[in-house]
Amino acid sequence: MIAAVRYFLQCTRCLNRDAGVVQGHVGIRRLRKGLLSDLSSFVKSTKRLQEIVETQPSTEELQNQLDELVLKAFKVVTRAVRFLDVWLQDVAAQDVGAAAAGEQGRARPLQPPTESAVEENANHEAAQSRPQEIDFAAGQNSSILLPERAHSVSSGGTGVAQSAPNPHPAHELGQATVQDPSQPSDAVPAIQLVPPRSASVSHRLSYSMRSGIPAQKNSLASEKLSAAQDAFLGYIGSFIGLHLQSRSSSELLVITQQSVAACRQLLVVVDEVWERDARRSETLEQARNNMQDRLGDLVQATQDLFTPSEAEGSDHVLMPDQGKHLVAAATSCVRSAGDCVGKTRQVIEKIGDFEFEAVGLGLSESIFNRLPSLAASYYTEQPNTQTNTEDTASEISQSSSSRPAPPPLYQSVSKPLPKTPLASPPIEKSLPPITQTTASVPDSLENGPPLRPPLTIDPPTYSSDTRSQSPESATKPVFDKEGRAESIGVSVSSSSNDTDPYSYRDSETSGLSTISTRATTPDQSPSSHKDSEKQLLSSFGSLSDIQSSILEEPYDAESQVLEKTYAHELIYNKEGQVAGGSLPALIEKLTTHDSTPDAMFVTTFYLTFRLFTTPVEFSQLLINRFEYVSESRHMARPVQLRVYNVFKGWLESHWQGDTDSEALPMILPFATGRLRAALPAAGRRLAELTAKVSEVHAGALVPRLISSVGKTNTSIGLYTDKDTQLPNPIITKSQLNALRNAKNGGNPCSILDFDPLELARQFTIIESRIFCAIQSEELLGLEWTNKNHSKAVNVRAMSKLSTDLANLVADTILSVDDAKKRAIVIKQWVKIGMKCLELNNYDSLMAIICSLNSSMVLRLKRTWELVSVKTRNRLEELRAVVDCSKNYAVLRQRLENEIAPCLPFVGIYLTDLTFVDVGNQTTRQLPGSRNGEGAAVINFDKHMKTAKIIGQLQRFQIPYKLVAVPEMQDWMESQIRRVRSSEETNVQQFYRRSLYLEPRETRPASKPSPSEHNEGTFPDNGRSNSKDHGREKFDFSRAFTFSSSQKEKLAS
Amino acid sequence: MSGGGRSRRATARDYNVVVLGSGGVGKSCLTAQFVQNVWIESYDPTIEDSYRKHIRINNRHAVLEILDTAGTDQFTAFRELYIRQGHGFLLVFSITSMSSLRELYDIYEEIITQKRDNRFPMVLVGNKADLEDDRVVDKSIGFRLSREWGIPYYETSARRRTNVHEVFAEVTARMMDRDRPVVRETRPRPKCVIL
Repeated sequence: MIAAVRYFLQCTRCLNRDAGVVQGHVGIRRLRKGLLSDLSSFVKSTKRLQEIVETQPSTEELQNQLDELVLKAFKVVTRAVRFLDVWLQDVAAQDVGAAAAGEQGRARPLQPPTESAVEENANHEAAQSRPQEIDFAAGQNSSILLPERAHSVSSGGTGVAQSAPNPHPAHELGQATVQDPSQPSDAVPAIQLVPPRSASVSHRLSYSMRSGIPAQKNSLASEKLSAAQDAFLGYIGSFIGLHLQSRSSSELLVITQQSVAACRQLLVVVDEVWERDARRSETLEQARNNMQDRLGDLVQATQDLFTPSEAEGSDHVLMPDQGKHLVAAATSCVRSAGDCVGKTRQVIEKIGDFEFEAVGLGLSESIFNRLPSLAASYYTEQPNTQTNTEDTASEISQSSSSRPAPPPLYQSVSKPLPKTPLASPPIEKSLPPITQTTASVPDSLENGPPLRPPLTIDPPTYSSDTRSQSPESATKPVFDKEGRAESIGVSVSSSSNDTDPYSYRDSETSGLSTISTRATTPDQSPSSHKDSEKQLLSSFGSLSDIQSSILEEPYDAESQVLEKTYAHELIYNKEGQVAGGSLPALIEKLTTHDSTPDAMFVTTFYLTFRLFTTPVEFSQLLINRFEYVSESRHMARPVQLRVYNVFKGWLESHWQGDTDSEALPMILPFATGRLRAALPAAGRRLAELTAKVSEVHAGALVPRLISSVGKTNTSIGLYTDKDTQLPNPIITKSQLNALRNAKNGGNPCSILDFDPLELARQFTIIESRIFCAIQSEELLGLEWTNKNHSKAVNVRAMSKLSTDLANLVADTILSVDDAKKRAIVIKQWVKIGMKCLELNNYDSLMAIICSLNSSMVLRLKRTWELVSVKTRNRLEELRAVVDCSKNYAVLRQRLENEIAPCLPFVGIYLTDLTFVDVGNQTTRQLPGSRNGEGAAVINFDKHMKTAKIIGQLQRFQIPYKLVAVPEMQDWMESQIRRVRSSEETNVQQFYRRSLYLEPRETRPASKPSPSEHNEGTFPDNGRSNSKDHGREKFDFSRAFTFSSSQKEKLAS
Repeated sequence: MSGGGRSRRATARDYNVVVLGSGGVGKSCLTAQFVQNVWIESYDPTIEDSYRKHIRINNRHAVLEILDTAGTDQFTAFRELYIRQGHGFLLVFSITSMSSLRELYDIYEEIITQKRDNRFPMVLVGNKADLEDDRVVDKSIGFRLSREWGIPYYETSARRRTNVHEVFAEVTARMMDRDRPVVRETRPRPKCVIL
């Protein structure tokens, strides 16, 4: 949001206070201030929301806060729109002329950095209010869009009028509130953008605002117009909003009156402008009259509605469908108002802006005469009506009482008032109850501090790292990879004292202390590690120093907006995650000053950056970031620290010597030069790291060893206390002897000679060894699919082993001539499969099922007849686990809930990675850019998806706690070698063997019946009932339910 | 796809279409292009209906489940499993690679052996038709093979989305044609189809 405002101001060349435009135009100056003030108010509100979320509030409280937030976002946007209007009139019309349209177009992308649903909402409104600009720039085409806009305003407007939760949220507003429940999480990223210091904003800004007041006296017609229109839209918006929620008639009436009053104000302004225009613009007159007519319609519609309820003398609850024409009237009113305002602006543009004198209030008073006289009484009763009409109303009162300090909230609402000298008494009275705080606003402007909300200043995020050194957080395994940044930061910082939250894998995380000690300070024993860290910290000022220095600096919305940023080049998805961005913007996100970077984001970046940039460019941009942030007073230090940490994390735990070492010539001078100048200890440390890394590079595989050490440590740490007892291998001495004999050329062993559990265990150990060795780079960029020189040695070894196992299964079954014995072998493999499932070894399970389910095995019907029903049912259960239907819904569900150690079916990840790669573009367009040709930025979403899948796989890379039986493993490997080298690995060979064992039965007809899809797999005469169901099932299941009677039928 | 399809979707038949071909022929791209909605900005292949797509051919409705072994080409046993589940096949090669066409022979044999039917619904697909300059498999070779196998031949460009829908439509039509007698046969036992 901040970035959006900044970009917006930048595009309008009003970023700097002393910019010519700002100096030259009072209106712009004031609106700019107002915008900044709104922004800071929004920021504060986000802060408070964060606090509330942290204290686990009631949903109601949360709702209130969220509503506030939405309201503020809306205000910021409204203000920006008004700013743009004024800017266009005052500036663009004067000196930019034709460029105006272009500027305006450029100003549009002010919304891209959608942070959360809140801003999305705001965004939405802003988008909707664009027709206004178009309207006045082009003078037409707005009528189609305006109704939509009216809608959107209604949601915002309702917020303005009530800013309380609605029990019956309707339509647009409903959407906003529906999103809200999900917001605690959504809003967090937004909050993280927001600097945690906001102590004296309101004071400062309100002060400066006050200084602007003298200028207000020469209020310009254009401003008047904007203010009047805003007020009108606000009321009419709440009018529609109210209607949609079936509120009480009294409330509706009040709102109607307010709308009418506001509309009248608008008309007054329009009239005045019209008077001023020497040519008495006809179109304007038309538009004005049109608007007045619409207003009349509206009033009439309301009146019609109320006559009956009045007669009853009770509060009449409006049903939503009752007032459809009311909404229609209001909508058309808004439309004509928009038209009118647009035309007025054109006129103003032509005749030049002029000072507005206090206009008689006759007009605005006269409107009330058209309403039932009863209306007047409602003015005074109004607060009561609101509290006793409905549960909604009571909630409003509750919420307003429970809210700690509403005044600052409404600061900006009240702002238009001082500059509206014609704000007539009726209008002020008619403000909805909550805005009654208006009265106190002048006070709040003067005595900002006392009225400030009780904002407890959040400690900067660094402290969250330091305070999290509790040992339990260190030992607590963090399985949830997508966990909040905080929890990850917790476990990481416990091992390395400074802020290095750049790891998310539980294993890696807790292994990090080992890593960092080893890779960086081999000369120090791990016990002195902490000390060295402390030294390091103290040398660039302790964290608390940084913290306090930050606190001393006053929060300054203005200076914040002035800071250079690429944040407008980021795209967020609905979940608030970064979905795309230019490289500088992503790097900025990586080194945010005000929050712990999102763990998933950071991990993704480290994991995948080589796919979208080079190590050299990455280093260069980090260094650039280090430099351009140094201009910023309040965030230079934290950001520079983060830049250092990014380098550190990269070199320590994500370094890939073969590709990354080319960046060393860039990193080293930076470490010894600028970094050392700014943060001496950090510079030294980074220089040390570069040295270590280049040594490691010479020794090639060292980083891998370190990371696997980390993994081993973790797994032991995790599992020793749970089950210290390693299971005893189920193997007898004679079995071991037989294995040794077989190895030395004695009698060969059979798969039937051993316990299925032990066979499953030993194969699991063999496979797990390969699985745990899989490196993330093997899984990136479809590396494993490279046929030649693939670096993905372990992934390919996994696939090979699975294929080997499948072939071994087929071989053991098909090499037996006796059908009865074949059935026993099948039974043994089913048992092994069951044990694999018990061991969470899905990869081997898949291989076994593939083989048992293959046509060459499945077609052996004589054999299957000899397999017991129990075994068949078991096999069916196993098959269901790895069933590929619905994209492996069953298997995915199981894997999601599985806890390591586990051997997932790797193929599922490989397919996922392939489709993420081919199904997502490498770039995406920044929205809202000129002519629809948004700048292409990195599609980070794709990389996030990739990283997420790799993370799922890595989650299981923990060795099994099983005792290896080398003899058995040797034998298994020899069997695999035998099968691999034999001729029969070819599927066709197996099939021939299968045909030899059980020759094909002669068919009754030469031409195959079309119904027999599954013919080859099993002789089948087409039991029609199974055909209606999922065909994938019946091949297999029928194989087991095949009855002898059917066989006879087939034979005949 | 079609607005009126919703009500009939309940009766739409499920078909498994298996996309086969050696690695690097762009078969996963073909699948992704077919399954993906043009408007989807972000494709997630990990959800249940990532590979499901409703299709209508001559007013007949079907739901296709695309089985694609993409990424698991080295796990050859796995391919068997998919072939067994398949009701129709796309045999994909790249017009820029003769070996990718040769590899289809094995796959074709495997299907024929498994299904014991040489008229099983299949379509021969020469992908990467946009890379005309790199073409090594002449169109005539493709057509000759398609005549030999008795299956239609299409050239596609997954990258340019040409003929992507067509090949899936073709194989669906063939699966439906093959199915029609079945539908007639099962009519005496309507079971729960109507319910």
